[in-house]
Amino acid sequence: MPDSPDSPDSIHAPTRALRLGIAGPVGTGKSSLIATLCRTLADRLQIGVVTNDIYTDEDAQMLRAAGVLDPARIRAVETGACPHTAIRDDITANAIAVEDLEADFAPLDLVLVESGGDNLTATFSPALVDAQIFVLDVAGGGDVVRKGGPGIARADLLVVNKIDLAEYVEVDHELMVEQGRDARDGRPVLGLSRKRPETVAALADWVQATLVAHRDGTHEPVDPGPMAPHAHTDGTVHSHEHAAHTP
Amino acid sequence: MLLLGDARLPTGGHTQSGGLEPALLAGMAAGDIPAYLTTRLRTTTLVDAATAVVALRTLRAGGAVELVEQAWAARTPSHVVRQASEELGRGYERLLTRLDDLTPRPVRRGEPRPIAVARLAARLDVAATDLARVICHDDVQSVCAAALKLAPLDPVDTVAWALDVAPLVERVVAQVADLRTPADIPAPAAPAAEIWQHAHATAPRRLFRA
Ligand SMILES: Nc1nc2c(ncn2[C@@H]2O[C@H](COP(=O)(O)OP(=O)(O)OP(=O)(O)O)[C@@H](O)[C@H]2O)c(=O)[nH]1
Ligand SMILES: [Mg+2]
Repeated sequence: MPDSPDSPDSIHAPTRALRLGIAGPVGTGKSSLIATLCRTLADRLQIGVVTNDIYTDEDAQMLRAAGVLDPARIRAVETGACPHTAIRDDITANAIAVEDLEADFAPLDLVLVESGGDNLTATFSPALVDAQIFVLDVAGGGDVVRKGGPGIARADLLVVNKIDLAEYVEVDHELMVEQGRDARDGRPVLGLSRKRPETVAALADWVQATLVAHRDGTHEPVDPGPMAPHAHTDGTVHSHEHAAHTP
Repeated sequence: MLLLGDARLPTGGHTQSGGLEPALLAGMAAGDIPAYLTTRLRTTTLVDAATAVVALRTLRAGGAVELVEQAWAARTPSHVVRQASEELGRGYERLLTRLDDLTPRPVRRGEPRPIAVARLAARLDVAATDLARVICHDDVQSVCAAALKLAPLDPVDTVAWALDVAPLVERVVAQVADLRTPADIPAPAAPAAEIWQHAHATAPRRLFRA
Protein backbone atom coordinates (compact mmCIF):
# COMPACT_ATOMS: atom_id res chain seq x y z
CA MET A 1 0.00 0.00 0.00
CA PRO A 2 1.25 3.47 -0.75
CA ASP A 3 2.70 5.32 2.16
CA SER A 4 3.36 8.96 2.39
CA PRO A 5 5.97 10.85 4.35
CA ASP A 6 3.66 13.74 5.08
CA SER A 7 0.89 11.61 6.50
CA PRO A 8 -1.23 13.55 9.00
CA ASP A 9 -0.80 10.74 11.46
CA SER A 10 2.92 10.68 12.10
CA ILE A 11 3.14 11.93 15.61
CA HIS A 12 4.73 15.37 15.40
CA ALA A 13 4.02 16.16 11.78
CA PRO A 14 3.07 19.79 11.29
CA THR A 15 -0.61 19.15 10.62
CA ARG A 16 -1.11 16.98 13.67
CA ALA A 17 -3.18 18.89 16.19
CA LEU A 18 -3.10 18.54 19.95
CA ARG A 19 -5.82 15.96 20.50
CA LEU A 20 -7.55 16.68 23.78
CA GLY A 21 -10.10 14.28 25.24
CA ILE A 22 -12.95 15.44 27.50
CA ALA A 23 -14.39 12.64 29.66
CA GLY A 24 -16.62 12.45 32.72
CA PRO A 25 -20.07 11.34 33.84
CA VAL A 26 -23.29 12.36 32.05
CA GLY A 27 -24.30 15.97 32.38
CA THR A 28 -21.22 17.26 34.18
CA GLY A 29 -20.71 19.89 31.48
CA LYS A 30 -18.37 18.37 28.88
CA SER A 31 -20.14 19.92 25.89
CA SER A 32 -20.42 23.25 27.68
CA LEU A 33 -16.71 23.17 28.48
CA ILE A 34 -15.96 22.55 24.80
CA ALA A 35 -18.24 25.43 23.80
CA THR A 36 -16.49 27.65 26.35
CA LEU A 37 -13.06 26.67 25.03
CA CYS A 38 -14.10 27.33 21.44
CA ARG A 39 -15.54 30.71 22.40
CA THR A 40 -12.40 31.66 24.30
CA LEU A 41 -9.75 30.28 21.97
CA ALA A 42 -11.31 30.42 18.48
CA ASP A 43 -9.59 33.67 17.57
CA ARG A 44 -6.20 32.30 18.64
CA LEU A 45 -6.38 28.63 17.58
CA GLN A 46 -7.73 26.53 14.73
CA ILE A 47 -10.09 24.07 16.41
CA GLY A 48 -12.05 20.93 15.47
CA VAL A 49 -14.49 18.90 17.59
CA VAL A 50 -15.54 15.23 17.60
CA THR A 51 -18.53 14.23 19.76
CA ASN A 52 -19.53 10.70 20.79
CA ASP A 53 -23.21 10.76 21.51
CA ILE A 54 -24.84 7.73 22.92
CA TYR A 55 -28.26 7.98 21.39
CA THR A 56 -28.50 11.16 19.37
CA ASP A 57 -26.23 13.74 17.89
CA GLU A 58 -27.52 16.11 20.55
CA ASP A 59 -24.02 17.20 21.59
CA ALA A 60 -22.92 17.95 18.05
CA GLN A 61 -26.16 19.84 17.40
CA MET A 62 -25.86 21.77 20.65
CA LEU A 63 -22.32 22.81 19.78
CA ARG A 64 -23.25 23.71 16.21
CA ALA A 65 -26.19 25.74 17.52
CA ALA A 66 -23.94 27.53 20.00
CA GLY A 67 -22.35 29.17 16.97
CA VAL A 68 -18.87 29.03 18.45
CA LEU A 69 -17.32 27.11 15.56
CA ASP A 70 -17.95 26.48 11.87
CA PRO A 71 -20.51 23.59 12.00
CA ALA A 72 -18.44 21.61 9.48
CA ARG A 73 -15.67 21.40 12.07
CA ILE A 74 -17.94 19.49 14.46
CA ARG A 75 -18.31 15.77 13.69
CA ALA A 76 -20.47 13.23 15.51
CA VAL A 77 -19.41 9.59 15.82
CA GLU A 78 -21.92 6.82 16.60
CA THR A 79 -20.54 4.40 19.15
CA GLY A 80 -23.06 1.55 18.94
CA ALA A 81 -23.98 2.17 22.58
CA CYS A 82 -20.35 1.53 23.55
CA PRO A 83 -19.01 4.97 24.55
CA HIS A 84 -16.33 3.39 26.69
CA THR A 85 -15.13 1.06 23.90
CA ALA A 86 -15.01 3.93 21.42
CA ILE A 87 -12.43 5.89 23.39
CA ARG A 88 -10.47 3.01 24.81
CA ASP A 89 -10.59 -0.57 23.44
CA ASP A 90 -11.48 0.22 19.84
CA ILE A 91 -10.76 3.81 18.94
CA THR A 92 -11.08 3.24 15.18
CA ALA A 93 -14.14 5.39 14.47
CA ASN A 94 -12.86 8.28 16.59
CA ALA A 95 -9.32 8.11 15.23
CA ILE A 96 -10.67 8.25 11.69
CA ALA A 97 -12.91 11.22 12.54
CA VAL A 98 -9.97 13.09 14.08
CA GLU A 99 -7.69 12.34 11.13
CA ASP A 100 -10.35 13.52 8.68
CA LEU A 101 -10.86 16.79 10.56
CA GLU A 102 -7.11 17.38 10.62
CA ALA A 103 -6.92 16.72 6.89
CA ASP A 104 -9.99 18.75 5.95
CA PHE A 105 -9.02 21.84 7.93
CA ALA A 106 -5.25 21.59 7.99
CA PRO A 107 -3.47 22.91 9.88
CA LEU A 108 -5.55 22.51 13.03
CA ASP A 109 -4.04 23.39 16.41
CA LEU A 110 -6.52 21.61 18.62
CA VAL A 111 -9.01 18.75 18.22
CA LEU A 112 -11.38 18.27 21.15
CA VAL A 113 -12.93 14.79 21.52
CA GLU A 114 -15.97 14.57 23.80
CA SER A 115 -16.61 11.14 25.23
CA GLY A 116 -20.22 10.01 25.48
CA GLY A 117 -21.04 10.63 29.14
CA ASP A 118 -20.22 7.41 30.92
CA ASN A 119 -19.12 6.54 34.41
CA LEU A 120 -16.13 7.19 36.60
CA THR A 121 -13.99 4.50 34.96
CA ALA A 122 -14.05 5.73 31.35
CA THR A 123 -10.75 7.19 30.18
CA PHE A 124 -9.24 7.79 26.76
CA SER A 125 -6.58 5.59 25.26
CA PRO A 126 -3.35 7.58 24.76
CA ALA A 127 -3.44 6.28 21.19
CA LEU A 128 -6.49 8.50 20.56
CA VAL A 129 -5.69 11.65 22.54
CA ASP A 130 -2.51 13.38 23.66
CA ALA A 131 -4.05 14.73 26.84
CA GLN A 132 -7.37 14.45 28.62
CA ILE A 133 -9.57 16.43 30.96
CA PHE A 134 -11.88 14.64 33.38
CA VAL A 135 -14.98 16.67 34.26
CA LEU A 136 -16.95 16.35 37.49
CA ASP A 137 -19.51 18.81 38.76
CA VAL A 138 -20.47 20.01 42.21
CA ALA A 139 -24.05 18.80 41.68
CA GLY A 140 -22.81 15.20 41.56
CA GLY A 141 -21.95 15.54 45.23
CA GLY A 142 -18.90 16.49 47.26
CA ASP A 143 -17.87 12.87 47.77
CA VAL A 144 -17.39 11.94 44.10
CA VAL A 145 -13.75 13.01 44.17
CA ARG A 146 -13.11 10.66 47.08
CA LYS A 147 -14.70 7.79 45.17
CA GLY A 148 -11.79 8.12 42.80
CA GLY A 149 -11.14 6.26 39.57
CA PRO A 150 -8.45 6.49 36.92
CA GLY A 151 -9.81 9.68 35.36
CA ILE A 152 -10.08 11.50 38.66
CA ALA A 153 -6.68 10.29 39.80
CA ARG A 154 -4.63 10.56 36.64
CA ALA A 155 -6.24 12.62 33.86
CA ASP A 156 -4.00 15.50 32.83
CA LEU A 157 -6.50 17.93 34.33
CA LEU A 158 -9.42 17.38 36.71
CA VAL A 159 -12.18 19.95 36.42
CA VAL A 160 -14.72 20.50 39.20
CA ASN A 161 -17.41 22.21 37.15
CA LYS A 162 -20.42 24.44 37.89
CA ILE A 163 -18.94 25.91 41.05
CA ASP A 164 -21.52 28.68 40.74
CA LEU A 165 -24.07 26.06 41.83
CA ALA A 166 -22.11 24.87 44.87
CA GLU A 167 -24.10 26.84 47.43
CA TYR A 168 -27.42 25.56 46.06
CA VAL A 169 -26.41 21.91 46.32
CA GLU A 170 -24.66 22.42 49.65
CA VAL A 171 -21.25 21.38 48.46
CA ASP A 172 -17.97 23.00 49.47
CA HIS A 173 -16.33 23.27 46.06
CA GLU A 174 -13.04 24.49 47.49
CA LEU A 175 -12.86 21.37 49.61
CA MET A 176 -13.65 19.27 46.51
CA VAL A 177 -10.76 20.88 44.65
CA GLU A 178 -8.47 20.33 47.61
CA GLN A 179 -9.46 16.68 47.91
CA GLY A 180 -8.88 16.37 44.18
CA ARG A 181 -5.31 17.61 44.61
CA ASP A 182 -4.76 15.07 47.39
CA ALA A 183 -6.14 12.24 45.25
CA ARG A 184 -3.93 13.26 42.32
CA ASP A 185 -0.45 13.58 43.77
CA GLY A 186 -0.32 17.25 42.86
CA ARG A 187 -1.64 16.95 39.30
CA PRO A 188 -3.72 20.01 38.41
CA VAL A 189 -7.32 20.50 39.52
CA LEU A 190 -9.46 23.42 38.43
CA GLY A 191 -12.71 24.73 39.88
CA LEU A 192 -14.70 26.00 36.88
CA SER A 193 -17.85 27.89 36.10
CA ARG A 194 -18.63 29.36 32.73
CA LYS A 195 -20.11 32.25 34.69
CA ARG A 196 -16.76 33.07 36.33
CA PRO A 197 -14.41 34.51 33.72
CA GLU A 198 -11.27 34.06 35.85
CA THR A 199 -11.86 30.28 35.94
CA VAL A 200 -12.49 30.18 32.20
CA ALA A 201 -9.23 32.06 31.67
CA ALA A 202 -7.40 29.53 33.85
CA LEU A 203 -8.81 26.68 31.74
CA ALA A 204 -7.79 28.37 28.49
CA ASP A 205 -4.30 28.97 29.90
CA TRP A 206 -3.94 25.30 30.80
CA VAL A 207 -4.94 24.27 27.26
CA GLN A 208 -2.50 26.77 25.73
CA ALA A 209 0.31 25.57 27.97
CA THR A 210 -0.44 21.95 27.11
CA LEU A 211 -0.39 22.82 23.42
CA VAL A 212 2.99 24.49 23.80
CA ALA A 213 4.36 21.46 25.67
CA HIS A 214 2.91 19.14 23.03
CA ARG A 215 4.58 21.10 20.26
CA ASP A 216 8.01 21.32 21.82
CA GLY A 217 7.89 17.63 22.68
CA THR A 218 7.91 18.00 26.47
CA HIS A 219 4.34 16.76 26.89
CA GLU A 220 4.20 13.01 27.33
CA PRO A 221 0.79 11.39 26.71
CA VAL A 222 -0.13 9.53 29.87
CA ASP A 223 -2.56 6.69 30.25
CA PRO A 224 -4.72 7.32 33.34
CA GLY A 225 -5.84 3.75 33.68
CA PRO A 226 -7.70 1.52 34.09
CA MET A 227 -4.86 -0.51 35.49
CA ALA A 228 -4.31 -0.35 39.24
CA PRO A 229 -0.84 -0.81 40.70
CA HIS A 230 -0.14 -4.53 40.67
CA ALA A 231 2.47 -7.04 41.69
CA HIS A 232 4.60 -9.18 39.40
CA THR A 233 5.74 -12.68 40.24
CA ASP A 234 9.31 -11.44 40.64
CA GLY A 235 8.16 -9.43 43.64
CA THR A 236 8.31 -5.98 42.06
CA VAL A 237 5.28 -3.78 42.43
CA HIS A 238 4.58 -1.03 39.98
CA SER A 239 1.86 1.02 38.40
CA HIS A 240 1.58 1.78 34.70
CA GLU A 241 0.75 5.40 35.09
CA HIS A 242 3.87 6.56 33.32
CA ALA A 243 3.74 3.95 30.58
CA ALA A 244 5.09 5.55 27.45
CA HIS A 245 2.86 6.23 24.49
CA THR A 246 3.56 4.20 21.38
CA PRO A 247 2.89 6.34 18.36
CA MET B 1 -8.62 -16.44 10.95
CA LEU B 2 -9.79 -16.58 14.54
CA LEU B 3 -8.44 -13.07 15.05
CA LEU B 4 -10.30 -11.77 12.01
CA GLY B 5 -13.56 -13.23 13.26
CA ASP B 6 -13.20 -11.89 16.78
CA ALA B 7 -15.49 -9.02 17.72
CA ARG B 8 -12.67 -7.65 19.85
CA LEU B 9 -10.59 -6.91 16.78
CA PRO B 10 -10.14 -3.13 16.99
CA THR B 11 -11.53 -2.15 13.61
CA GLY B 12 -14.66 -0.26 14.59
CA GLY B 13 -17.12 -3.16 14.27
CA HIS B 14 -18.99 -2.06 17.40
CA THR B 15 -20.33 0.95 15.51
CA GLN B 16 -22.22 -1.30 13.05
CA SER B 17 -25.49 -3.20 13.30
CA GLY B 18 -25.41 -4.96 9.92
CA GLY B 19 -28.44 -2.99 8.81
CA LEU B 20 -30.48 -4.19 11.77
CA GLU B 21 -31.08 -0.84 13.45
CA PRO B 22 -32.41 0.68 10.21
CA ALA B 23 -34.65 -2.38 9.73
CA LEU B 24 -36.11 -2.11 13.22
CA LEU B 25 -36.55 1.66 12.87
CA ALA B 26 -38.46 0.97 9.65
CA GLY B 27 -40.87 -1.22 11.60
CA MET B 28 -39.51 -4.73 11.11
CA ALA B 29 -40.60 -6.85 14.10
CA ALA B 30 -37.89 -8.06 16.46
CA GLY B 31 -39.30 -11.56 15.98
CA ASP B 32 -38.18 -11.39 12.34
CA ILE B 33 -34.49 -10.99 13.15
CA PRO B 34 -33.67 -14.67 12.39
CA ALA B 35 -35.38 -14.31 9.00
CA TYR B 36 -33.47 -11.06 8.48
CA LEU B 37 -30.23 -12.94 9.07
CA THR B 38 -31.15 -15.52 6.46
CA THR B 39 -32.12 -12.90 3.91
CA ARG B 40 -28.92 -11.01 4.52
CA LEU B 41 -26.78 -14.12 4.10
CA ARG B 42 -28.47 -14.86 0.77
CA THR B 43 -28.00 -11.29 -0.52
CA THR B 44 -25.66 -8.64 0.92
CA THR B 45 -23.43 -11.07 2.76
CA LEU B 46 -23.16 -13.33 -0.29
CA VAL B 47 -21.99 -10.34 -2.35
CA ASP B 48 -19.43 -9.40 0.32
CA ALA B 49 -18.12 -12.95 0.71
CA ALA B 50 -17.81 -13.36 -3.07
CA THR B 51 -16.09 -9.97 -3.36
CA ALA B 52 -13.61 -10.91 -0.64
CA VAL B 53 -12.72 -14.22 -2.29
CA VAL B 54 -12.25 -12.66 -5.73
CA ALA B 55 -10.19 -9.84 -4.17
CA LEU B 56 -7.99 -12.34 -2.35
CA ARG B 57 -7.29 -14.26 -5.56
CA THR B 58 -6.65 -11.02 -7.44
CA LEU B 59 -4.22 -9.81 -4.76
CA ARG B 60 -2.38 -13.15 -4.70
CA ALA B 61 -2.03 -12.99 -8.48
CA GLY B 62 -0.58 -9.47 -8.14
CA GLY B 63 -3.57 -7.92 -9.91
CA ALA B 64 -5.39 -4.66 -9.24
CA VAL B 65 -8.50 -4.74 -7.10
CA GLU B 66 -10.17 -1.68 -8.68
CA LEU B 67 -12.32 -3.86 -10.94
CA VAL B 68 -13.33 -6.02 -7.98
CA GLU B 69 -14.28 -2.88 -6.10
CA GLN B 70 -16.34 -1.65 -9.05
CA ALA B 71 -18.15 -4.98 -9.24
CA TRP B 72 -18.93 -4.74 -5.52
CA ALA B 73 -20.12 -1.15 -5.83
CA ALA B 74 -22.40 -2.08 -8.74
CA ARG B 75 -24.03 -4.66 -6.46
CA THR B 76 -24.27 -2.29 -3.49
CA PRO B 77 -26.48 0.47 -4.84
CA SER B 78 -26.88 2.70 -1.76
CA HIS B 79 -24.04 5.13 -1.24
CA VAL B 80 -24.90 5.13 2.46
CA VAL B 81 -24.23 1.39 2.63
CA ARG B 82 -21.08 1.70 0.55
CA GLN B 83 -19.80 4.48 2.78
CA ALA B 84 -20.37 2.46 5.96
CA SER B 85 -18.47 -0.45 4.40
CA GLU B 86 -15.64 1.86 3.37
CA GLU B 87 -15.39 3.24 6.89
CA LEU B 88 -15.05 -0.28 8.20
CA GLY B 89 -12.44 -0.87 5.51
CA ARG B 90 -10.41 2.02 6.89
CA GLY B 91 -10.46 0.33 10.28
CA TYR B 92 -8.96 -2.82 8.77
CA GLU B 93 -6.45 -0.72 6.88
CA ARG B 94 -5.34 0.91 10.15
CA LEU B 95 -4.71 -2.55 11.52
CA LEU B 96 -2.79 -3.71 8.46
CA THR B 97 -0.72 -0.53 8.57
CA ARG B 98 0.27 -1.36 12.11
CA LEU B 99 1.09 -5.00 11.30
CA ASP B 100 3.35 -4.03 8.44
CA ASP B 101 4.83 -0.96 10.10
CA LEU B 102 3.75 1.14 7.17
CA THR B 103 3.34 4.87 7.45
CA PRO B 104 -0.41 5.43 7.45
CA ARG B 105 -1.43 6.96 4.15
CA PRO B 106 -3.74 9.93 4.38
CA VAL B 107 -6.81 8.08 3.12
CA ARG B 108 -9.98 10.01 2.59
CA ARG B 109 -11.96 7.00 1.52
CA GLY B 110 -11.30 3.40 2.45
CA GLU B 111 -11.72 0.29 0.41
CA PRO B 112 -14.94 -1.59 1.17
CA ARG B 113 -14.84 -4.04 4.05
CA PRO B 114 -14.62 -7.24 1.93
CA ILE B 115 -11.58 -5.96 0.05
CA ALA B 116 -9.89 -4.57 3.15
CA VAL B 117 -10.40 -7.90 4.92
CA ALA B 118 -9.08 -9.71 1.84
CA ARG B 119 -5.88 -7.66 2.12
CA LEU B 120 -5.49 -8.77 5.72
CA ALA B 121 -6.25 -12.36 4.70
CA ALA B 122 -3.54 -12.16 2.04
CA ARG B 123 -1.12 -10.81 4.67
CA LEU B 124 -2.04 -13.51 7.19
CA ASP B 125 -2.19 -16.44 4.72
CA VAL B 126 -5.87 -17.10 5.30
CA ALA B 127 -7.46 -19.52 2.81
CA ALA B 128 -10.28 -18.33 0.54
CA THR B 129 -12.90 -20.53 2.21
CA ASP B 130 -11.86 -19.32 5.66
CA LEU B 131 -12.05 -15.73 4.45
CA ALA B 132 -15.58 -16.30 3.14
CA ARG B 133 -16.54 -17.87 6.47
CA VAL B 134 -15.09 -14.92 8.39
CA ILE B 135 -17.06 -12.44 6.29
CA CYS B 136 -20.29 -14.37 6.95
CA HIS B 137 -19.56 -14.89 10.65
CA ASP B 138 -18.70 -11.23 11.19
CA ASP B 139 -21.89 -10.16 9.48
CA VAL B 140 -24.08 -12.57 11.45
CA GLN B 141 -22.46 -11.55 14.72
CA SER B 142 -22.76 -7.83 13.96
CA VAL B 143 -26.50 -8.31 13.64
CA CYS B 144 -26.72 -10.55 16.73
CA ALA B 145 -24.64 -8.24 18.93
CA ALA B 146 -26.61 -5.20 17.81
CA ALA B 147 -29.87 -7.07 18.41
CA LEU B 148 -29.00 -7.24 22.11
CA LYS B 149 -28.80 -3.45 22.23
CA LEU B 150 -31.95 -2.90 20.20
CA ALA B 151 -34.47 -5.54 21.26
CA PRO B 152 -35.40 -7.20 24.55
CA LEU B 153 -33.56 -10.51 24.31
CA ASP B 154 -31.69 -13.08 26.29
CA PRO B 155 -28.12 -13.07 24.92
CA VAL B 156 -28.12 -16.85 24.60
CA ASP B 157 -30.94 -16.59 22.05
CA THR B 158 -28.66 -14.81 19.60
CA VAL B 159 -26.08 -17.57 19.92
CA ALA B 160 -28.80 -20.04 18.97
CA TRP B 161 -29.67 -17.89 15.92
CA ALA B 162 -26.03 -17.84 14.83
CA LEU B 163 -25.90 -21.63 15.11
CA ASP B 164 -29.19 -21.99 13.23
CA VAL B 165 -27.78 -20.17 10.21
CA ALA B 166 -24.47 -22.07 10.28
CA PRO B 167 -25.57 -24.52 7.53
CA LEU B 168 -26.54 -21.55 5.35
CA VAL B 169 -23.14 -19.96 6.02
CA GLU B 170 -21.50 -23.17 4.78
CA ARG B 171 -23.64 -23.06 1.63
CA VAL B 172 -22.53 -19.46 1.00
CA VAL B 173 -18.90 -20.47 1.55
CA ALA B 174 -19.26 -23.32 -0.96
CA GLN B 175 -20.99 -21.02 -3.43
CA VAL B 176 -18.17 -18.44 -3.45
CA ALA B 177 -15.15 -20.67 -2.83
CA ASP B 178 -14.08 -21.03 -6.45
CA LEU B 179 -14.90 -17.56 -7.78
CA ARG B 180 -12.10 -15.82 -9.63
CA THR B 181 -13.14 -12.77 -11.61
CA PRO B 182 -15.28 -9.71 -10.81
CA ALA B 183 -17.94 -10.93 -13.22
CA ASP B 184 -18.28 -14.12 -11.13
CA ILE B 185 -19.62 -12.15 -8.15
CA PRO B 186 -23.35 -12.88 -7.85
CA ALA B 187 -25.78 -9.98 -7.92
CA PRO B 188 -28.73 -10.73 -5.62
CA ALA B 189 -30.65 -7.76 -4.20
CA ALA B 190 -32.50 -7.03 -0.97
CA PRO B 191 -34.30 -3.82 -1.96
CA ALA B 192 -36.30 -3.33 1.23
CA ALA B 193 -33.24 -3.65 3.49
CA GLU B 194 -31.29 -1.40 1.15
CA ILE B 195 -33.95 1.30 1.30
CA TRP B 196 -34.07 1.05 5.10
CA GLN B 197 -30.30 1.36 5.35
CA HIS B 198 -30.26 4.21 2.87
CA ALA B 199 -32.57 6.16 5.17
CA HIS B 200 -30.29 5.63 8.16
CA ALA B 201 -27.95 8.46 7.25
CA THR B 202 -30.64 10.92 8.31
CA ALA B 203 -32.40 8.89 11.03
CA PRO B 204 -32.79 11.12 14.10
CA ARG B 205 -32.22 8.58 16.88
CA ARG B 206 -29.59 5.97 16.28
CA LEU B 207 -27.03 4.02 18.20
CA PHE B 208 -25.26 2.56 15.19
CA ARG B 209 -23.56 4.01 12.17
CA ALA B 210 -25.24 1.51 9.82
N1 LIG C 1 -24.75 26.63 36.39
C1 LIG C 1 -23.95 26.03 35.51
N2 LIG C 1 -24.45 25.13 34.67
C2 LIG C 1 -23.63 24.54 33.79
C3 LIG C 1 -22.25 24.85 33.70
N3 LIG C 1 -21.68 24.11 32.72
C4 LIG C 1 -22.68 23.34 32.22
N4 LIG C 1 -23.86 23.60 32.85
C5 LIG C 1 -25.17 22.99 32.58
O1 LIG C 1 -25.11 21.60 32.83
C6 LIG C 1 -25.96 20.89 31.94
C7 LIG C 1 -25.21 19.76 31.26
O2 LIG C 1 -24.19 20.34 30.46
P1 LIG C 1 -23.55 19.60 29.19
O3 LIG C 1 -22.44 20.47 28.72
O4 LIG C 1 -24.62 19.26 28.21
O5 LIG C 1 -23.02 18.29 29.89
P2 LIG C 1 -22.31 17.03 29.22
O6 LIG C 1 -21.30 16.53 30.17
O7 LIG C 1 -21.85 17.37 27.86
O8 LIG C 1 -23.53 16.03 29.12
P3 LIG C 1 -23.60 14.64 28.30
O9 LIG C 1 -22.97 14.89 26.97
O10 LIG C 1 -25.08 14.37 28.21
O11 LIG C 1 -22.89 13.65 29.13
C8 LIG C 1 -26.52 21.90 30.97
O12 LIG C 1 -27.82 22.26 31.38
C9 LIG C 1 -25.57 23.07 31.11
O13 LIG C 1 -26.16 24.29 30.82
C10 LIG C 1 -21.74 25.85 34.61
O14 LIG C 1 -20.56 26.20 34.63
N5 LIG C 1 -22.64 26.40 35.50
MG1 LIG D 1 -22.27 16.45 26.06
